[in-house]
Amino acid sequence: MSRSSSRTSLALAGTATALAVLTACGGSGSDSAAPGSDGKPVSITFWGWAKGSKEVVDAFNASHKNIKVVYEEIPSGNAGGYAKISNAVKAGNAPDLVSIEYPQLPEYVSQGALQDIGQYFTEDIRKKLLPQAVELTTLGGKNWAVPFDASPQAFYYRKDLFEKYGVEVPTTWDEFRKAAEKIKKADKKARIGTFFPDDPTTFQAMAWQAGAQWFKAEGDTWKVDTTDAATNKVADYWQGLLDDDLIRANASFSPEWTNSLKNGGTVGYLGAAWGAGVLKGTLPEQSGKWAVAPMPSWDGKPASGMLGGSTFAVTKTSKKAKAAVEFATWMSTTEDGIKARIESGTSSAFPAAAELRPVAKNAFDADFYGGEDIYQVFEDAAASIGPDWTWGPTTGTTNTTIKDQFGKVAAGGTTITDAVKAGHDATVAELKKRGLKVEDAG
Amino acid sequence: MNRARTTRAAAILLGPFFVLFTLAMVVPIGYAVWLSLFTEKQSGLGFGGTETVFSGLDNYAAALGDRAFREGFGVLLGYCLFYIPLLLIGALALALLLDSTLARARRFFQLALFLPHAVPGIIAALIWVYLYTPQLSPVISAMESGGIGFDFFSPEGALPSVVNIALWEWLGYNMVIFYAALQAIDRSVLEAATVDGAGAWRIALSIKVPLIRASVVMVALFTVIGSLQLFTEPLILNKGTGSAVSSTWTPNMYAYTAAFERNDYGLAAAASILLALTAALLSFVVTRFTGRKGRKA
Repeated sequence: MSRSSSRTSLALAGTATALAVLTACGGSGSDSAAPGSDGKPVSITFWGWAKGSKEVVDAFNASHKNIKVVYEEIPSGNAGGYAKISNAVKAGNAPDLVSIEYPQLPEYVSQGALQDIGQYFTEDIRKKLLPQAVELTTLGGKNWAVPFDASPQAFYYRKDLFEKYGVEVPTTWDEFRKAAEKIKKADKKARIGTFFPDDPTTFQAMAWQAGAQWFKAEGDTWKVDTTDAATNKVADYWQGLLDDDLIRANASFSPEWTNSLKNGGTVGYLGAAWGAGVLKGTLPEQSGKWAVAPMPSWDGKPASGMLGGSTFAVTKTSKKAKAAVEFATWMSTTEDGIKARIESGTSSAFPAAAELRPVAKNAFDADFYGGEDIYQVFEDAAASIGPDWTWGPTTGTTNTTIKDQFGKVAAGGTTITDAVKAGHDATVAELKKRGLKVEDAG
Repeated sequence: MNRARTTRAAAILLGPFFVLFTLAMVVPIGYAVWLSLFTEKQSGLGFGGTETVFSGLDNYAAALGDRAFREGFGVLLGYCLFYIPLLLIGALALALLLDSTLARARRFFQLALFLPHAVPGIIAALIWVYLYTPQLSPVISAMESGGIGFDFFSPEGALPSVVNIALWEWLGYNMVIFYAALQAIDRSVLEAATVDGAGAWRIALSIKVPLIRASVVMVALFTVIGSLQLFTEPLILNKGTGSAVSSTWTPNMYAYTAAFERNDYGLAAAASILLALTAALLSFVVTRFTGRKGRKA
């Protein structure tokens, strides 16, 4: 719509220029010598957006003489960070180390944007980390990233309002629905939670929790099935909640969502471990009123998927992989690294490194949750993360398609089941277009 | 000698334009054409890196074969049919009002109506998203207390929502163009009409509007071309609202999503070029058509 003085310039110019601008994106440090060649510190550039990253980098730089990290904060992945990383890699001026969430990692690997770090990210480091997380960063038999956090699901709720309305904390999805009804009955403006039409990953975590397995790598063939029984069960359940107006449909972390949390219109949040820090940062005035419970499950036994979660990957063009992995390992697997992040006060990351969870727990100020041991809740949930889930190499296509369809669900334009089916079809088509072997199991 | 100097002066004066034009237009367009002829292939599970292969017109076929891309043109068509008449009639009506002898405080209204245009499109879209959001928007709560419920983010509401933002941004701007044209009309013509007994209505519709026909056509043409590039406002509605505006709602958004969400630069380039060709064709048809008519008049 930008009609300025050169309005006759064609749409092409805009898009073509955008493509050309790629070469101008990014900034990287090729300003230092090879590792340790002349006694000067190796300078590496790190792009990320996770809470507390700046504090972590400062702590690292203060305690390390051999490596100097330059941190550049970029928008969060889906808000443009991923596009920025891709463009920088394409343009040949990518930083050395980037944050990538588990679902997107295979896509970057398949684009050839990253390098194999198996040489530095060795077995003795790997065994400190949650096996499911290591599994998700091992693709085609190679190691592509250092997992940082595991992000087990968790249910955050307003303890005060649950008590006021006489609602028990649900442990199964059946109970969750009953609780939703009860809350709506007690206050016709209040809802138990939110369906995020802009965020397929929350739904995917629910499907994962229910035992779905969208991608399977069998030999050199991708077996894709996003419409298995478990997924359909989850889709029908959420569709039912929406149809009966038992949950809200708001974009995640939108002003609308935040506002409804502030005024008690939304009394619960189905999120993940990192959400504890987000809630705390968003609603400081509600300190002490929130509590954390395990995610409700289908059979009442603990079960969890993973929702988001960060890894650190080294870009293809970096010549300082060793230093980058050393820094990434420090962030993920050392007491100092974890402590610096959590003590920033904004992060509630749940470390993939099991032995550092007590460190995170001690560093996290849980007053917001009335002093509850929220890390124990995450710990139990992490132990129940389904081990079979794999992400395919087309997350961009899969999730964009589902997101587009989810946008129409709330107004009745389509159903969750159909939206997920559309994601399935787009995924299969995209894999075929890239020349990969696909078995369409949908 | 004299002539040679003129040529040299022309070369020096035009030089910067052509250098910039080449760098900012010709080269990127050439690069986009080049990109559109290639595609990235992978093998096995896809973790062995990519190989760029020549694919001829496959990307064009893929774009044209994609329902989402074609639907984008449908959205544009609906947008033009909805938006352009409203814009032209609205801007014309306001300009005629300002130009009429009855108008008071002309300067004030001229400025007030033009002001929205000074707000960048992205800011305007953000403000409107706020006004469209249930529970936050004072407009929606006012409508609800009046018994009117309208979901601006629903599949039916999306188009009117975007048209409304565009109208808000462009009405005043185009009104100023029309008003300037009206001011340029020879006053003796209007006086003659008055002497002949024509009323204000008659003068407006039978004399003023025909006399500024060229401006109306120009605004219509620019608006059509501008509409083809529809991007910023729907993108804001797409990001962060969970609305029915999809990531491929307009052809421009389709190209953007292909490049930056799906990492398919070949498809993005092909989609951009198809859109550009449409715009070129449309401009050609409209200018030819209106140009000939203009000469006859």
